[in-house]
Amino acid sequence: MQRFANERVIVQLALLLVAVALYASTFGQSFSSSDLAQSPMFFPRIVLTLWIGLSLIALVQAVRTQADVAPIASWTRIAVVLISALIYTNVIGSEGFFLPSVVFALICLPAFGIRKPFIVAAFALLVPGVLVALFNHSLGMPLPTSRFTYMF
Amino acid sequence: MLSSLPEAIGILLSLEGLLVLILGTVLGIILGAMPGIGSTVAVAIVLPFTLTMGQAPAIILLLAVYAGSVYGGSIAAILINTPGTPQSAATCLDGYPMAQRGEAGLALGWATVASVIGGLVSAVVLIFLAPQLAAVALEFGPIETFALILLGMTCIVSVSTGSVVKGLMAGMIGIFLSTVGGDPILGEMRFTFGNWQLFAGFNLLAVVIGVFALSEVFIRASNKITTVSELVAFNGIVLPSWQMWKGRLRNLTKSVAIGNVIGVLPGTGAATAAFISYAEGRRSSPNREGFGKGEPDGIVSSEAANNAVTGGALVPTMALGIPGDAITAVMLATLTLHGITPGPKLVEDNPTLIATIFAGFFVINLLLLPLGMLLSRVAAPILRVREAFMMTSIVILCAAGIYFVRGNPFDLLVMGGAGVVGFLLRRQGVPMAPLVIGMVLGPTLELTLRQGLILTDGNFFAFFTGHPIALVLALAALGALSLPIIRALRGGAKT
Repeated sequence: MQRFANERVIVQLALLLVAVALYASTFGQSFSSSDLAQSPMFFPRIVLTLWIGLSLIALVQAVRTQADVAPIASWTRIAVVLISALIYTNVIGSEGFFLPSVVFALICLPAFGIRKPFIVAAFALLVPGVLVALFNHSLGMPLPTSRFTYMF
Repeated sequence: MLSSLPEAIGILLSLEGLLVLILGTVLGIILGAMPGIGSTVAVAIVLPFTLTMGQAPAIILLLAVYAGSVYGGSIAAILINTPGTPQSAATCLDGYPMAQRGEAGLALGWATVASVIGGLVSAVVLIFLAPQLAAVALEFGPIETFALILLGMTCIVSVSTGSVVKGLMAGMIGIFLSTVGGDPILGEMRFTFGNWQLFAGFNLLAVVIGVFALSEVFIRASNKITTVSELVAFNGIVLPSWQMWKGRLRNLTKSVAIGNVIGVLPGTGAATAAFISYAEGRRSSPNREGFGKGEPDGIVSSEAANNAVTGGALVPTMALGIPGDAITAVMLATLTLHGITPGPKLVEDNPTLIATIFAGFFVINLLLLPLGMLLSRVAAPILRVREAFMMTSIVILCAAGIYFVRGNPFDLLVMGGAGVVGFLLRRQGVPMAPLVIGMVLGPTLELTLRQGLILTDGNFFAFFTGHPIALVLALAALGALSLPIIRALRGGAKT
């Protein structure tokens, strides 16, 4: 069971399925050119066919070789950093740059092992603050601001 | 190009030019000295900020960060036995033992002089070789260009780290990503699934920063937190005297030559050059017995070669528009964003820009000596900065930088997604350089293939029967692709 349900196999299988789904999506669409080489899907189909073939080989290799990927040292840390980074990049557009950056730093620094509250707070305020000052006031290319104030 | 030299020197001596040269080199040395950041991440972090600049200063800034970071890696390698960049891994072997016996300053002195000489010679190689190569490539039509890109891609994959299958797959994913959005000939939308944000395709910079910088943060988060290493006693750089160079010049010359040759080959990179040069030094140096125990020739072999790669790697990038590695792919992307199309036409159409880039690259390598001497004292305490601060800063800086490029929050989502995908793929040993190079070269590959098919009435085999250059390039591509397979079969037969 371990042979088929490990990270390597799952990722390779996911890559294969994505390629197959994308390939399937190239059919059933109408384009202005009926000429094969000038069809907008001509080149992507070649690329996707190669992608499918290569991911099939990689999948077989992953099943046959028992080598495992590097172990995750702390699932909690990677989960916290990954999820907070994804939420962070998602909310900047609506909540502004400064506040999400402060919150992200407040979450990320302790996750990486910084425990002193003063250092965490100072860093979390200072780095985004300097960037807002630089972009908004020096470079003249404002970063998104929050719904509470136009300042940051 | 020579006639444009006075104008190029004028640009470099302007306030903006000087600032970019000095600040870029300083930033490169400091970022390169920080273990784990590496040249690619350093260039990726700086990249969005270049968009406020003109074409020449933007490229000069990136070149300065690139050359500076390759040198900066040696500071961490010698002082804390942790290479700041993969290119400096071989420097640890002799640099740290030398530092342990109280000669850290001299070890950094050997590294600095070797880096400067390697970089300067590579700048000369770039200046003389790139225009010649570009002149040959000017004769290329779409079919030859298609075959050339194919060769470049296969070279990159066949020598990239990890399995060839995974390298090729990464290349295909990159090429596919480049097809999202408008079709280059008819303009019809592909793979947008009704999302108007994808009409212009994926933002290349967002993908590059995601797969290199953000995924690096996730990888660090998944590993054990590294403790701050102990610094050895260090009181500034001590340059080796002329007498000390006696009997070592041959090794230096050989290392510089190895770095330049490897740099010109697409896909190899500075780390490979440093290790090959180190191995050659260990084999042929008159001081080979001391290798691994703090022998200056070991430091010279590694540092001269890795800095000599920088100019060499720019030759195919500038002359042919084919990036040699991930860093030059990022630079190629920047050139495109600035409205410059790298390739044979660039040398002909923009002689001032090319002269500025070449002259600037030479000056950057000269600047490594004084700035390296000044900054090594500053960079040493930076080596003690904890990983947590570096990683958090990288995410925040990347977010600000990516938003800065187009002011589009969708690019931030792309960066986040690319970071997660990059993290998952890198854990499986899938190299990221072919993905980025595929994304950069994909549009040209598609365009030249389709143009070629129009020229040959849809007959793909006519690509090679009527075009001898394309045939040679295609055969070379086939050879490059079969090389790792033959190597694997031989390895299998031996065992």
